[in-house]
Parts: sequence; structure tokens; C-alpha cells
Amino acid sequence: MIAFTVVTFVAAFLAAAALPAVTADARPDLPAVLVSRQLAAHAGLRTGDTVTLALDATGSGAMRFRVGGAYEPTPDPMRFTARRLEARMHLPDLNAITASPSDPGSVESVKAVNVRLADPNDAAAFASALAARAPGIFARPTARTRDGPDPFVVLERFHLAVATVTVLGSTAFLLALMTMRAEERRETVGIIRLIGVSQRSILMGVLVEGLLIATSGAVFGILVAVAAQGAINRFFQWRYDTALVFVRVTMSIALRSIMLSVPLGIVAGLVGAWTLLRRDLPALIRR
Amino acid sequence: MPAGTVTALGHVSIRIEAGDYVAISGPSGCGKSTLLHLLGCVDRPSGGSLVFEGRDVAGLTESERSRIRLTRIGFVFQRFFLLPMLTAWENVELPQSEAGVPKGDRRARTRELLDYVGLAERSGHRPSQLSGGEMQRVAIARALANRPPLLLADEPTGELDETTGEQIADLFDRVHEGGTAIVVVTHNPVVAARAGRRLAMKGGRVVDA
Repeated sequence: MIAFTVVTFVAAFLAAAALPAVTADARPDLPAVLVSRQLAAHAGLRTGDTVTLALDATGSGAMRFRVGGAYEPTPDPMRFTARRLEARMHLPDLNAITASPSDPGSVESVKAVNVRLADPNDAAAFASALAARAPGIFARPTARTRDGPDPFVVLERFHLAVATVTVLGSTAFLLALMTMRAEERRETVGIIRLIGVSQRSILMGVLVEGLLIATSGAVFGILVAVAAQGAINRFFQWRYDTALVFVRVTMSIALRSIMLSVPLGIVAGLVGAWTLLRRDLPALIRR
Repeated sequence: MPAGTVTALGHVSIRIEAGDYVAISGPSGCGKSTLLHLLGCVDRPSGGSLVFEGRDVAGLTESERSRIRLTRIGFVFQRFFLLPMLTAWENVELPQSEAGVPKGDRRARTRELLDYVGLAERSGHRPSQLSGGEMQRVAIARALANRPPLLLADEPTGELDETTGEQIADLFDRVHEGGTAIVVVTHNPVVAARAGRRLAMKGGRVVDA
């Protein structure tokens, strides 16, 4: 049920950042370690280099390793401002480097272990079982769950509030704009009505026009959002040196945008048209 | 202070027969345009009755009055009232399209009308690319699009020079000779002189018939 993967030992990679002892001679007999892309760039490490990692800057428990490669750290929105100067090593190496001569039990302890479950839905059951078997060990799922505590729930509510205010403001603006636009077309509508085009035909024309404009506007807005998404992500990924995706325009978001904007556009057009259609015809063609 | 009621027309009784050519003249504000709007089913009378082809217009719905304007009455105005985004051809074709005329018939009728008013070669031009006289001729062609028995004109030469005004008056003569009844509101004595009947209005009443 549980698939053990790779241990990330935070103290070790922080120490590694403080102790970037690198030697050029390749030693294939040394244990391999993976370094984060950021650490590799920061310390100028390449695959095959030899590094010395220790628990702290004084060199406690220092061990030599061979750099087996670099990896991209899993983006973590909770720590996106932190410099990801990390290393990954096998559990025996981790035990060895953290061993304390004064504490024989230290080789048996780690502070945190990442575990990937074969079925992520078992996270809650796994956490409960682990807590029952090993009191004092706290397990929590890293994946966001909708039914449990969500660290981003406040942020999400804030986004929803901003979106709601934006939609309401835009709707009021759109209605005002369409009413002004309708007023500009007062004489045109008057002429059309004068020559006998029925109100139904005019409303149908406005409906089609509103549909086309609203759909075009929604598609344009989505294209702008997609283009802005790339720019925003590239800027913040550069700014924080992370692979974290800050903005993502999903199909669901695009569809929701269309489902919201198209009816709003049509309604705004119809409201604008109705302000003209309800007036007496002589009032429309009077100079 | 609330505006009081203004009686634009009172005790007006006129009868327009098929094939009539009637000119209405009078000072500004005497009710000429109001009378024309009533005759054209653009407005409703607040009292009395208005009968068009045997039907009391006051009792008709907006949709029914629209249908009458579309198929039975043509309008020509001083300011032309062409749709600026449409070409001359499209302006003439629009009422036929709304009336459900088949495409082939529409094309033939539009070509015939633009030829009739002498603008066949300007059919692809928009109103902004036409002179005042040309715009008025397109407006006349549009007014005749659905072969209405009645043509109403409100100061059709008001924005045209004398020569162009006479050309429009000539065109009205030809339309009238074709059997269409014409009621024209005009200050232009040349145009008024072409009409078979002349009505003078003052203070919302017909004072000289």
C-alpha cells in the first residue's frame, strides 16, 4: 500500500548550502546524492562532482558524496519564497550523516519523511493508522482536500470576493455602456422601425449581435488571460526561482467565463435595445 | 412645473383616395408632420379615428402598424433617414427582406428601383458617399420597395438645392403617374404646385382645402 520513495532531509541540504565543499575528482565508490537544481546552480555542481555534506556549517557529521544528478524540487506554494537548496540521499546515508555519537538512538530518527501512497485516497486512513501505531508522529496529506482543512481557503474566498466585485462592477459598466451605445443608435433604430421592421426582428438582431460580441469578447478575454498566464508565470518563476505554476487558465475557468459573460453580454444588449424599443417611434426620429 | 397638454391637431378631417397627390403646407409647428405621422401609422391619435384601407389604425397593435408601414406605406423624409452602415442597394433591399420577399425577386426589384431613380451605378455606395439628391433618390427607391399604394413625404426637398429639388419633384411626378398616392408636406411652392390637391394648415387645423 505504501511506496517508499526518496527521503528529503532538510537539515542536511541546508548544511550542504553552508558547506559547499566540492572536489573535482570523481569517486564512483562514494554514495550518490541528488541535488536540487537551485543548489546545483548555487554551488556550481555537476553530475560526478564530489561534495561534502554536513549537518551544520562547522562540519558536524560530514560525509562525502558523489553528485548523481540534479532534480527539480516539487513546487510548494507554502514555501515558494524559500531558496530550495536541497539534496536527496538514500536513507542509510541520511542515518549516517545525522548520527550523533552521544545519542545511539539518533540513527533511528528522522524529522520528516515524505511518503507517496499507491492510492492517494488512503491518506486519511494512513494518517490515522500511523498515529495509532506510533504516537507522536504526525502525518498529514500534502495534497489539498476539499473536505478537510485547506490552508488556501481564505485566499480562495478572497479571490471569489474579488471576482464577484469585478463581475458586478463590469456588469454595471456594461449596462451603462450598452445603454449609451443604444442612445447613439436611437435614430438608426427609429429608421428601422419607421420602415416597418418589427420590434421582434430588431430584438432578434440585437440578440444575435450581443451573442457574437459577447462570445468574441469572452474568447478574446480568455486568449488575453492565456497570454498573461505565461507572462505572469515566467516572471514569478524567474523572481522566486521555482517551477511553481502561479496562474493556470483551465478549461473549467474558460468555460465558466464564457457561461458568465455570454448571457451577461446578451442581457446588456437586450436592455440597451429595450430602452429604445419601448419609446414611441416619433421620439426616436425627432431631431 | 408639469408641462401642459398640447393639442397638435384638432378637428382635422381629410380623405386620401388611391392615386391622389396631396400637398400640405403651413407654418412651422402647425401640425403638418404630426398629421403625416398619423397618416403613416407612426403615431396614434389620442381621439377621433384614423381609417386606413378600411381598418381603424387606433385599434391596431404596434406589430400590425409596423406591417402596414412595411408593406402599404412608403416614407420619404427631409433628412433622408438612410441607414449609414448599409449601401444604397442594401437600404433598398432591407424592407423587402423584412417583408419576406424571395431573394431573386428582391434582387430584381432593387435593381429595377435603383435604375428607376437613376442610381444603378451607385448601388454599392454608402450614404456618406452620396450627394443629398442621390440620398433622397435612394430614400424614394426604398420607400417604393414593397410597392406601397401610399407614399408620404415630409419636406423631401428641404435639404436640397433648387435644381436637385426639382429633380426630386419630377421623380414624385413619375411615381404618381405609376398609380401611387402621394401626400407631401412641403414649404416648396414648386413641389406643392405639382400636387392635384393642396391643403393649408394653421394651429393644428386644416384651414384651406
